[in-house]
Amino acid sequence: MLASVFARTLHERWRGVAVAVASLALMLLLAMAAYREIDLGVYDSLPDALRTLMGIPPGADLASLAFGVIFSSYGALAMGGMTISIGAAAIAGEEAAGTIGTLLGNPVSRAHVLLSKAASLVALVTLGTALLWGAGLLVPLILDVNTAGLQISAFSLHFALSALFYGFLALAVGAWTGSRGLASGVASGVMVVSFFAVGLLPFVPGWEDLARAFPWYYLGASEPLLNGVDWAHVAVLAGSAVALLGVALVGINRRDLRSRTVGVTLLDRLRANPTTRRLADRIGGSARVSRIWVKTASEHQVTIVIVAAAMFWMMGVAMGPLFNGMNVLARDLGDTIPESLLIFFGGGDLTTPEGWFQIETFGMMAPLAVILVTVAVGAKALAGEEERRTIALLLGNPVSRRRVVAEKALSLVVSGAIVGLSIFAGVAIGSWIGGLGMEVGNIAAASLLATLVGLVFGALALLLSAATGLVRVAIFVPVGASVAFHVMDSLARLNDAPWGRLSPFHYYLGADPLQKGLDWGSGALLAALAAALIAVAVPAFDRRDLRQTG
Amino acid sequence: MSETGALHTEGLTKHYGKVHALVDLDLDVRPGEVFGFLGPNGAGKTTTIRTVMDEIRPTAGHASILGMDCHRDSVEIRRHIGYLPSDLALYPNLTGRDTLTYFANLRGGVDWSYVAQLCERLDADLDKKVGDLSSGNRQKVGVVQAFMNHPQLVIMDEPSAGLDPLVQRELQAMMREKAAEGGAVFLSSHTLSEVQRVADRVGIIRAGELIALESVSSLRSKAMRRVELELASVADPVVVAAVPGVRDVVVENHRVVLSYSGRMSDLLRAAGEHYEVLDISTQEADLEEIFLRFYRDQEATV
Repeated sequence: MLASVFARTLHERWRGVAVAVASLALMLLLAMAAYREIDLGVYDSLPDALRTLMGIPPGADLASLAFGVIFSSYGALAMGGMTISIGAAAIAGEEAAGTIGTLLGNPVSRAHVLLSKAASLVALVTLGTALLWGAGLLVPLILDVNTAGLQISAFSLHFALSALFYGFLALAVGAWTGSRGLASGVASGVMVVSFFAVGLLPFVPGWEDLARAFPWYYLGASEPLLNGVDWAHVAVLAGSAVALLGVALVGINRRDLRSRTVGVTLLDRLRANPTTRRLADRIGGSARVSRIWVKTASEHQVTIVIVAAAMFWMMGVAMGPLFNGMNVLARDLGDTIPESLLIFFGGGDLTTPEGWFQIETFGMMAPLAVILVTVAVGAKALAGEEERRTIALLLGNPVSRRRVVAEKALSLVVSGAIVGLSIFAGVAIGSWIGGLGMEVGNIAAASLLATLVGLVFGALALLLSAATGLVRVAIFVPVGASVAFHVMDSLARLNDAPWGRLSPFHYYLGADPLQKGLDWGSGALLAALAAALIAVAVPAFDRRDLRQTG
Repeated sequence: MSETGALHTEGLTKHYGKVHALVDLDLDVRPGEVFGFLGPNGAGKTTTIRTVMDEIRPTAGHASILGMDCHRDSVEIRRHIGYLPSDLALYPNLTGRDTLTYFANLRGGVDWSYVAQLCERLDADLDKKVGDLSSGNRQKVGVVQAFMNHPQLVIMDEPSAGLDPLVQRELQAMMREKAAEGGAVFLSSHTLSEVQRVADRVGIIRAGELIALESVSSLRSKAMRRVELELASVADPVVVAAVPGVRDVVVENHRVVLSYSGRMSDLLRAAGEHYEVLDISTQEADLEEIFLRFYRDQEATV
């Protein structure tokens, strides 16, 4: 039984790991190929802090630069996200699905189940890291790039333990609470916050050492790629992971297991309270189920609110005053930071507010936030109802499939717009508080384009959801496509290559909306692309046999 | 073609690649009747229902409900029918009331006092989140939504799943009332006792093909009987089975249990030729056995 819990988790998850590693290897290949074409001499003069943020070791040559950008930022975040998803599903996921009862109906202890799930997590991380390690050796070989002096094995060890840490964190929270959402939320929160903390704290004089409090620090701060394994840092990561596993073991043995559970939201609490009941009933009950699109959007309320609030506060409001704090430093750096490096983060001039916001907020985070929300809404829109089998009852009502697709598309647009508006409001307020004097119209233009480029991938998710009825396909393909197109756009801009026009991201920041305002052509093109994908989704869903999953 | 029936199919066929889930199905459900649709698991009952509900599209053939085409007029059809899918799934985060409100909003014109009446009959709890309900209580919410808009036809796929016997009986009463007021009920089930109690006519489906279509009373009048004979000596199953009308012979030493259709005197005479009959007891066969007989006959010819 121990072996089979282990084997089953492995069996369910290895494909995801393999796909992620393959995409990362491909990105490494693209990045190295692109970096071969540019002058890298300037990187030596970069300050340490900035290099840490970008994940680039000092004295960066071609290979270490590519490794830094692809593996220690994208790669580590992707692997961390993967382990978090596995760790959160381990115990809490089985509870949410109602399968934990059957599982523990067999003669196995809770501790054994937890340990075999943890073992499968270790095995998957090992597998993923080994494949990445292989790619790290193979790709430079293919491109004939010199990797002498790079300690890929040492980096891999840091990489694996770091990923394991976040996975075990999710496992521990899940084991204590039985809530999958809480487990993945807490662990991803810790990961993302610590990613930014480690990147930004070194910029703040006197606060440099605070970065040590964040787990991300132990991934790359010691430059394992150049300096080899830092055993103290490795010990911190491994020790914390083991400690978290211990915490998980205590947690799962202490509490009552949940049967198939339904989350309790704030609204539910308000509805239970007699004084707030009437109002809460109106909002949470009758209003929530008034239309298909309202109900769909309300199902994603937690994601939408968290993403919109994070973008508003952290990427918007907070960035205004932060620019002033950084201003002096940034001006000094003005000449030394090569544009080619910054292009991956959206490109721009760090000494101007517009450039600052372009790199920090709009370059990667803004479209990522919209994509995150719209792909979740789009993918689950139809395929989610099919997989949960609620589609039968929904379509048992006198509504056509076309109308269902249309309403789901509307909820997609609305949720994307909420995120876009929160970005706009956050940046506008941040600029106002910081006294940066940015054009409100230009902020609106960039926010609109970010929303539209995000909606393109959300619409792709809706189309795949409509055409296949498989949530997995409808999530992975648009996410993969968005990463690939983002890299493609960045690389094309590095080389001034014309094929960058094939990427939707080209029409996002390509015409420099923060400086020049809205390029109507780009906006129209993105909107038309999203509309076309939605339009194809209508007949795709209308013509198909609906799935019956048991 | 006559399409005035509540539910009508002609040559309805559904292939999934090489799997023939439904073969040339002809059905005609009339207003004012409860039609029982019987078959073992995987026989094609749910495929039939999903096809007439336009969830999946037939490979060949034609289906209509209340005279309207199941594909072309599917939205209009759903205005007039109630549907309870098999293995019911609801939105776990909504309460029963939210769920019914949602569907009521999609339909328009639901009579809430009638909903309250239905809930009372079934003892349904609408204030809890559906995800926190037991499967039986969840099923009640499904039943209420299937009846709440006064449908002319109710299609139900294994509706009794999870319901306790008292509620099952109430549901059967609701089906009879629906038929009495001129509506129709299409009841898919593998629990034969349920169909026997409530249905007027029965269609029996196996491996995607309709193998029998009869009224419940004519099925019963086939008068299969369960016969138990107590003999003075050990019986030879081959000899007993050779008697015309005898099937399903089980021999335990001096005791023989069998199914028999025919005149009892013929059976007694045949038995008396070979054995001394000490005791005999018989009882009327239920639909279960009749069904098994159809099922086995088909299997034998395949």
